[in-house]
Amino acid sequence: MNGYFENTMQLTRFMLRRERVTSTAWIVMLILVVVGLVPGMYAALDATARNEMLGVLANPAMVAMAGPAYAEIHGTFGAFYTNLMFIFTAFTVAIMNIFLVVRHTRADEERGRYEVLRSLPMGRLAGINAAMITAVIINAALAVLMGIFMYLGGLIGYTDMSFSASMLWGVALGATGLFFAALTALFCQLSAITRSVMAYSFVALIFLYLLRAPGDMNPDMEWLALISPLGLVMRTQVFGYDYWWPVWVLLIGAAAITALAYRLNATRDIDQGLIPARPGKAYGGWLLSSAPGLTFRLQRFMVILVVVGMFLLGASYGSVLGEVESFVASNEMYQTLILSPAGIDISVLYGIPVEDAITIMNQLLGAAGFTVVEMFAGFIGGMMALMGLAALIVFTLKAKSEEKDIRTELVLAASVSRTKYLLGFVAIAFVAAVLLQAAMGLGLYVMAVNTLANPADISLGFVMQTSLVYVPALWVMIGVAVLLLGAWPKGTGIVWGYFAYAFFMDLIGSFGIFPEWLGYTTPFGYVPQLPMEDINFVTMGLMTAVAVGLTVLGIFFYNRRDINAVTHSGVSIKPTKILTRPRI
Amino acid sequence: MKLSVEIKDLNKYFGKFQALKGINLEIGEGEVFAYIGPNGAGKSTTIRVLLGILQASSGQVKVFGQDAWKDAVEVHKRIAYVPGDVNLWPNLTGGEVIDLFVKLRGSHDKALRERLIRDFNLDPTKKCRTYSKGNRQKVALVAAFASNADLYILDEPTSGLDPLMEQVFQECVLEQKNKGKGVFLSSHIMSEVERLCDRVGIIREGQLVEVGTLDDLRHLTSYTMTVATERTIEGLEQMDGVYDIYRSDADIKFQVNTDHMGAVISHLTSFGIKKLESAPPSLEELFMRHYGAPS
Ligand SMILES: Nc1ncnc2c1ncn2[C@@H]1O[C@H](COP(=O)(O)OP(=O)(O)OP(=O)(O)O)[C@@H](O)[C@H]1O
Ligand SMILES: [Mg+2]
Repeated sequence: MNGYFENTMQLTRFMLRRERVTSTAWIVMLILVVVGLVPGMYAALDATARNEMLGVLANPAMVAMAGPAYAEIHGTFGAFYTNLMFIFTAFTVAIMNIFLVVRHTRADEERGRYEVLRSLPMGRLAGINAAMITAVIINAALAVLMGIFMYLGGLIGYTDMSFSASMLWGVALGATGLFFAALTALFCQLSAITRSVMAYSFVALIFLYLLRAPGDMNPDMEWLALISPLGLVMRTQVFGYDYWWPVWVLLIGAAAITALAYRLNATRDIDQGLIPARPGKAYGGWLLSSAPGLTFRLQRFMVILVVVGMFLLGASYGSVLGEVESFVASNEMYQTLILSPAGIDISVLYGIPVEDAITIMNQLLGAAGFTVVEMFAGFIGGMMALMGLAALIVFTLKAKSEEKDIRTELVLAASVSRTKYLLGFVAIAFVAAVLLQAAMGLGLYVMAVNTLANPADISLGFVMQTSLVYVPALWVMIGVAVLLLGAWPKGTGIVWGYFAYAFFMDLIGSFGIFPEWLGYTTPFGYVPQLPMEDINFVTMGLMTAVAVGLTVLGIFFYNRRDINAVTHSGVSIKPTKILTRPRI
Repeated sequence: MKLSVEIKDLNKYFGKFQALKGINLEIGEGEVFAYIGPNGAGKSTTIRVLLGILQASSGQVKVFGQDAWKDAVEVHKRIAYVPGDVNLWPNLTGGEVIDLFVKLRGSHDKALRERLIRDFNLDPTKKCRTYSKGNRQKVALVAAFASNADLYILDEPTSGLDPLMEQVFQECVLEQKNKGKGVFLSSHIMSEVERLCDRVGIIREGQLVEVGTLDDLRHLTSYTMTVATERTIEGLEQMDGVYDIYRSDADIKFQVNTDHMGAVISHLTSFGIKKLESAPPSLEELFMRHYGAPS
């Protein structure tokens, strides 16, 4: 292996320099969010609140999302915090690592930067080796800093979090991150296309996250959770038993995958992937005869993927509908969220046995004309719509990434009007909004009728209403993206900020902490709350009009601005034939 | 003569930076026009304004009598564009991209498409991501020449082509020229410009410093003369318009401005001429002067 790793350290230093801003920002943000919540959460979660919360954590839908309810065993604040936050933090760390590794390996290779490095005296594996060492360093930094600050955060909040357990919390996150770094490095060997590598990595992440859900819910299938890094890492039971073995397993797994990636890297050619590029079509099909057709062709796969994803998301919620009665009856928080909006005085349910509570609850709701299942379906509609919205924004902003990659001008120069060009993207997003919501509703319904003790509790028509009622609000958000795209392309990030804000308002808004008018600062505040409110066609019509108005305005500005001006990188330097200075 | 391109007092600012400074240019239909200048001079910017992709800060830009910005879609029906940096969709094949552009421009000459793919020796079944730079450029060139445009706007279209393909490209341009189609060619390859173009425009730091036929341009500059005489030439140094004198045993070499040529030759005759050669400057030399001279 002589010379395979030549100059790795030099290269590692260079990569760390490039990471100065990005990775530092990731680590700081993660610590700020994760540790920053500790003191507040500790104040909010006193012993009684924790007792109530147990019900929430133990309900199957929550276990499917956040992992086993270890807090039930340990009862400490730390254990609660782990239960609430850990898996999502680990998920985020995994995302950080996917971006990190792709950035320094396949993306650089595809852009031709790696080739330049390889022309220097540098080992064949130095590139991937340096990238992995960089990942180790960054994850180690994250682990240590997260552990220390977790402990400090605990001290400030006077909680019961020990130093060694805090360190385990950090190290377990780092180990998970490293595992995904290794997995991404492996995927980088498979495909030569950065985008495909990203897709493989994210699909793997989501798959492994979903894989552990049945394992966590059903003890007979726990092995499913054990073979998923995200299931495994929960078994550290931080701030409870504080097991370290999952960390070692993750690190060994990461090392093994890394070794495999190195092997594959050493045998393949630069710029190649192990999955060979098949010859494609010599002729363009009917889709490739118009600009909107092209746009659809480029996004088709993603649209289908997201529609299927939303169907599955709906189905996973549908599968827990059967459980809804009992956990609403036994949990005050859910009662506040789900029963109060129907005008039911939840204090009557306080302190009575669950069976009786269910009966009373059903009778009260029945008198108002609803079922618990309906109330719950209405309640989660907004959440699910917001998850789909992320994809819709990506579909719309694809117009910007095309412009950035200097492909927009090619299409515009081929006698396509800007209006028509942009409308292609808008149309896909608008139609996708309907498809996503319909797929979600359908998934929920199909799963619900098959698991509900009384299928008559829910009807397809009602489920479809609860999801489709969000379509105009989604359109408004798309309209905002289009407006920015036309009027201020550099500022399209704003729509992501607005999205995050809407998400936050939807999540927190239902607790009634903020003044009511704040709810009306996002389009989702205007969506009728089914089943209490009726579908209001006037409001929905108005929202649609606003969405169309924003879009028209966006197109108006798009027709009046320079294309490409956003991304120009300055003077281009090209070799020319003129090499000498003139003599005179 | 009908005009294909008509630019009046064109200025283009990017923020405070002025990329184009008062460009005036007229190009006739069917003319092959070369647009040359150093890196960063403003060639691509001019072309993007012509295409209505950038908006002129001030001035008038017309293509086939229509406004390049307002009537962009109409204008584009008659033109084909090839950029120097061809970026294509990584997961479409070359064949698919060619068909896309040809169909968008509304032309349907299948035989022409096949012939061009053969001439340029292109594999249309490969994904664009796997093409080399030259091959991506070939995709764009085939797409352009297969769409029967009236004006071809080509921005350094051959920067990645091998000499053989460069030849094929030149044939294609000449074929269009014979059909009476116009070409607006920005290029750094002087031999290509010399062979193909009727007229040349030189842009430097955003200003059009020279426009004319090659002969016009030559008249503005100097010839290289090589002379051998029976007696030693005297007084040459003192003459106007003569410089860069280089004496060797056999002959004497110098530069002379075109408008002083007559006077110099009659001076030389008095020394008994044995050999007299004069060479016009190559295009390359012309450009050196324009590129290098301070503005
Ligand atoms: N969007 C932009 N924003 C700021 N400056 C720009 C922009 N586009 C071009 N420029 C500047 O305008 C000048 C002209 O650029 P242009 O691309 O037209 O040069 P060019 O003549 O095509 O050069 P080359 O031979 O390298 O292709 C350069 O100085 C460039 O940096
Ligand atoms: Mg250029």
